[in-house]
This record gives sequence, structure tokens and C-alpha cells, in this order.
Amino acid sequence: MKYAPLLLLVTVAVLIALPWLVSGSMLNAAVQMLIAALFAMAFGLLCGQAGMLSFGHAAYFGVGAFAAVHAMNAFGGEGLLPTPLLPLVGGATGLVSGLLAGYFSTKRTGVYFAMITLALAELLHALAPHLKTVFGGEAGVSSFRMPAWGIGFGSLNDVYFLTLVWTLLCIGLLYLFSKTPLGRLALGLRENAHRLRFLGYNTHALGTLIFAISAMFAGIAGALQSMNIEAANYVVLESHISTAVVLNSFIGGVRVFLGPAIGGAVMTFFGHVTSDLTRVWLLYQGIIFVLVMMFLPRGLVGELVERIRNPSGEGLARTLSTLLARLVSLAIAAFGAVFLIEFLQRFLSPEYRAGVTDGNWPDIALFSYDWAPLSVLPWAFGLGLFGIGIALVTMVNRRVAARKEAQA
Amino acid sequence: MSDPILSLQHVHKSFGEAHIIRDANLDVIPGERHAVIGPNGAGKSTLFHLCSGQFAPSDGKILLNGKNIAGLKPAEVNRRGLARSFQITNIFPGVTVFENLRLAVMRKHNLQFVFWRSAARLRVVNEEVDDLLTKIRLTERAQTLASQLSYSEQRSLEIGMTLASDPQVILLDEPMAGMSHEETDYTAGLIREITEGRTLLIVEHDMSVVFSLAHRISVLVYGEIIATGTPEEIRGNARVKEAYLGEEAA
Repeated sequence: MKYAPLLLLVTVAVLIALPWLVSGSMLNAAVQMLIAALFAMAFGLLCGQAGMLSFGHAAYFGVGAFAAVHAMNAFGGEGLLPTPLLPLVGGATGLVSGLLAGYFSTKRTGVYFAMITLALAELLHALAPHLKTVFGGEAGVSSFRMPAWGIGFGSLNDVYFLTLVWTLLCIGLLYLFSKTPLGRLALGLRENAHRLRFLGYNTHALGTLIFAISAMFAGIAGALQSMNIEAANYVVLESHISTAVVLNSFIGGVRVFLGPAIGGAVMTFFGHVTSDLTRVWLLYQGIIFVLVMMFLPRGLVGELVERIRNPSGEGLARTLSTLLARLVSLAIAAFGAVFLIEFLQRFLSPEYRAGVTDGNWPDIALFSYDWAPLSVLPWAFGLGLFGIGIALVTMVNRRVAARKEAQA
Repeated sequence: MSDPILSLQHVHKSFGEAHIIRDANLDVIPGERHAVIGPNGAGKSTLFHLCSGQFAPSDGKILLNGKNIAGLKPAEVNRRGLARSFQITNIFPGVTVFENLRLAVMRKHNLQFVFWRSAARLRVVNEEVDDLLTKIRLTERAQTLASQLSYSEQRSLEIGMTLASDPQVILLDEPMAGMSHEETDYTAGLIREITEGRTLLIVEHDMSVVFSLAHRISVLVYGEIIATGTPEEIRGNARVKEAYLGEEAA
């Protein structure tokens, strides 16, 4: 991992140069990716490092978002809380609510812990529409970013840099935190809380504190979100926000430091691209999660780190050519699967059904061709490509296994 | 004979109708290696759980340095100078050997809720971890994941973690369970070394280990201590022979 600092430097440089490299719509996506990355990192501290799987992290993201909007309205971006420091309000609110919720939920572990976090988040979500003064009802609470420190904060570029600075700062702090005694104890909590207790530690207090710190960073992410869209609505408290952060973190790899951030960024990017192209992008997201959990249980980054640490011993060229062969085969299979799913989606959609008259099934346009739905061709095309891809991948895997056996 | 460092006085423990420990009396003298033996189900592990704070006794007193510790939480008992190992290996499997010991050592230096210092720069802590690694002969394995150690190495690590708080009294619960002859000899030597200047209370099934290691032995049968004495005294004790050793000799 001696290239890690260099890689980090290049990444930061690219992130700083990004507004001049990509379009406005892409930059907007980048802001959301950064927020998702920070939120996932906050979750990763709790779940990956301390081993506590929270199903209710939307609550702390949400309270951070609302606190920032209210602070924006109250201070007008001036005085003690100029616009760039507003995420601090989100962080403080997250910290306090995390201390409260953490105190109760960390009294239990495992499934019971997860259930309590879920219940607390759902409680807040159910309560929110009734507390109009705090959560603004259906309309939510909106505000405006005011200029401060000579920066306008009106343009997307300014928002991007505000989000970038806070995200990098927080990820840096999370990294430093993982190196402190408390950060090391988080690992102990994950690995064996019982033993920690017998070593003389107060595991409940440790759990509460780590929960609160995780909630604090989630609150900062929430604040960045509401500052970005200049509004907050109780939709941010919904359970799918809690679920998304769990899925993103696990896809990236919850046990490696930057895994959750990369999972969050990649999946947000994926959503941004695919939600314009297809209506069933959530299905794809779900399929990706299942496949990653089945075949790369360490997550994308986790698997990469593992491969670098324990190389296959076949040399770089062999490893890369195997990887390439796998990727090409998987791409063929994926194309076949996507074709089938999209074709089915169109075939089953109410709009198409409405167009069917007297047994006359109009052609379906997909990938710039018109396919007759009752002909065998489109189905055979999709299934065939999928089958070929899977067969190719199986072949590659068999060869690798045979080589390993020959070595042993 | 000096005052006992650990003293059980009329200790009783029952779970519902089951009386596991019945009026147990035991004095452990500072600096001695004291073994508790007894047939399976005699209550040896329960006795350890009572001393280390996992269970509170139903009745009676447990004195550590003359102060009653009965019913205190494990963490508090540990703070007062009594540390224990477990019958089942109880370590932090997913982190390195070094990290395991560092987690154990940090407590002694009151490093718990500290998030403004780097753990790598805690010089005293890291020196103590290095010392412990030398003592338990795992220096070479410092950066290995604990889960990848051999069984006897894991047991050594377990003992190292027990030592980390620099306790006056160490409780070892069947440290040789499941070990080969070589591993047992090795671990017995290790225990002899590390308990120098401390007090040891040990539960062990391997009689050759018990009789060569312990200064004094107590025999626990059906929740009662029926005899305490030197290995010779215990060998010659008629009640012990009848209740326990006799069965094995027969």
C-alpha cells in the first residue's frame, strides 16, 4: 500500500479540479455523491468499526438537515454562524440525539440493537408530520444560503466546494479517530464486547459515545444535504434513507476505511445515471447488492484491498488478464440480463398494455431496434447473451481453479 | 502466614433450586500458586465467576485485600487488582496480537474515552505491550491476526491479556484445556514465569500440572471445599481420595 498517499493526493486534486472538468448536472451529482460518501462513512464507523448495525441512521441525517435549515433561517448566514459553519449545527444536533438514542439502543446488541435503532427512527418519522413548527409538515422547511466570508454561496461551484471541504475534513477526522484509543476500542467492541468488559471497560458508555460520534457525522452530512437543496422535508427521515446507507456501505466494504465512502459515491452516481435511463433502477441497485454480498462479501474496496495484500501469486499480467476476461464475460451476461429486464418492464408496463388491441401486439423499441414481443427473437437474444456470459465466466473460473490445483 | 489476599467466607450460590456452591471457604495467601481441583460439575467455573464478578453470590463474602468484592461488576473487580482468563479462548479474533494486548494495557492507564491522542504515540502503553509480547513469547507474531494463531498461542495471548492490567491476583480457568503434552509443558513454564511476584488461583484438570505447579491445592466437591493443603497433604487426604482422586486411581 505504499502508493496510497499518492493515490489520495491525485484523488483530492481531481476532486478540486472537478468543477472545470464536468458539466453542471454532473457536478450536482458530485455534491450528492460527496454527501452520500460522508453519510456512509459515519455509518461505517458504527457498523464497520464498532460492529453495531443501525437500521435507523436516517434519523440523525434528518435531524442534522432540519437543524441546519432552521439555523440558516435564524442566523441569516451571519454573526456567530456564517454559512460555511452551518454544518456544525447539524453535527451538534446529531451528537445530542445520538447520545440519547445511543444510550438506549446500545444497551442491547445484534438484532435487538438494530430493532431499537429502526424503531427510534420510525418513531421520529411518524412524529414528524405532526410537528409542523419543527418539520414544516408536507411542505417542509426552506431557506436560502446567504453570502459569508466574501463567498456568494449562490452558485453550484460554491456549494460543491463547501461540501467538498466538509466531506474531506470529516473523513480526515474519522481517520484520525480510528487511530485514537477510543477508535481502537471500537474494534474491541466489535470483536468481543464481553472480553472488553472483563478488561475493566465500560462497554455501554463506549458504545453510546461511538454511536453519538457516528450520529454527529451523519448530522453533518444531513446539514450539507439541506444546505445544498436549501430545504428539508420529513422525507429525509424515511426508512429508505436508512436502508440506502446500509446497502451503500456494504457494497463498498464496511470494514475497510474508505469502503463506505466509495460505496456511497459509486451507488449515488449509479442512481444518478440510471434513474434517467430506466424506471427499474432500484431493482438494479438491489441486484448489485445481492451479487456483491454473494460473491464479494468484503465489498468492492474490501475485496480490492484483500487482493493487493494477498496477491494470487500468478503475477500481475496473469491477474490482470484474468480480471479482464472476467469483466468482459460479466459485461456480456449483464447486457443480456439488462435487455431481458428492460424488455419485460416495457412489455408489462400499463402504457404498453393500453396499446394492445384485439390481439395486435405492437413492436417494442429497445436499444434502437423494434422487437416483436411475440416472436422468439428478443427473448432468445437476451437469454442467449446472458447464458453466453455466464458460460464464459464459468470457463475462466475453471481455468483459474485448474491452475491453482496444478500449483498445489 | 500472612493475611489472605483473596478470601471466600461462607460463599453460597444457587440458581433456583440448584445449589452450585455451598458454604465455600477459601483463603489464598499472597504470592502463592493455588489450584482448585474437583470432578466435573463441582462448581469450579462458578467459583471463578463469583470471584471475578460475572455472578453475584447468593450469600457470603468475597474479600480482596480485606475488602468485600461480592456482587461488584467485572470491570470494578478488575480495577481492584483481580484479572481472569477464560476456559473458552476469549480474545479479539479479528485484530492483531499487538492490538489485543494494547486494548488490554490501555485500561490500566485509564485510556477509555480518549479521542484526542494517537494510540500509536502512547509510548508507555506500547512499551508495556512489547514487554508482554516478550513475556508470552509472541513478539514474532505481533502483527498476526489473533484468529490466525495456533491454539496454544491463543491461550498464551489470553494469559497475556490477563496480565496486562498488572493484577495482584490472577485467575486462570483451565489454561491447558485441549493442549498436547508439549504445549502443556510449555504453558506450565510460561505460567510459572509470569506469576512470579503475583498470586495465582488456577483451575486445571491435568493433575501432573496441578501437583507440580501449585503451592497449595483446594478440592471442590459438589460446591464444597472439602480440603485445602500442600500437594503432599492432598495426596494423603482420605476424604479427597474417596471423593475424587480415588476414582481416578481405581
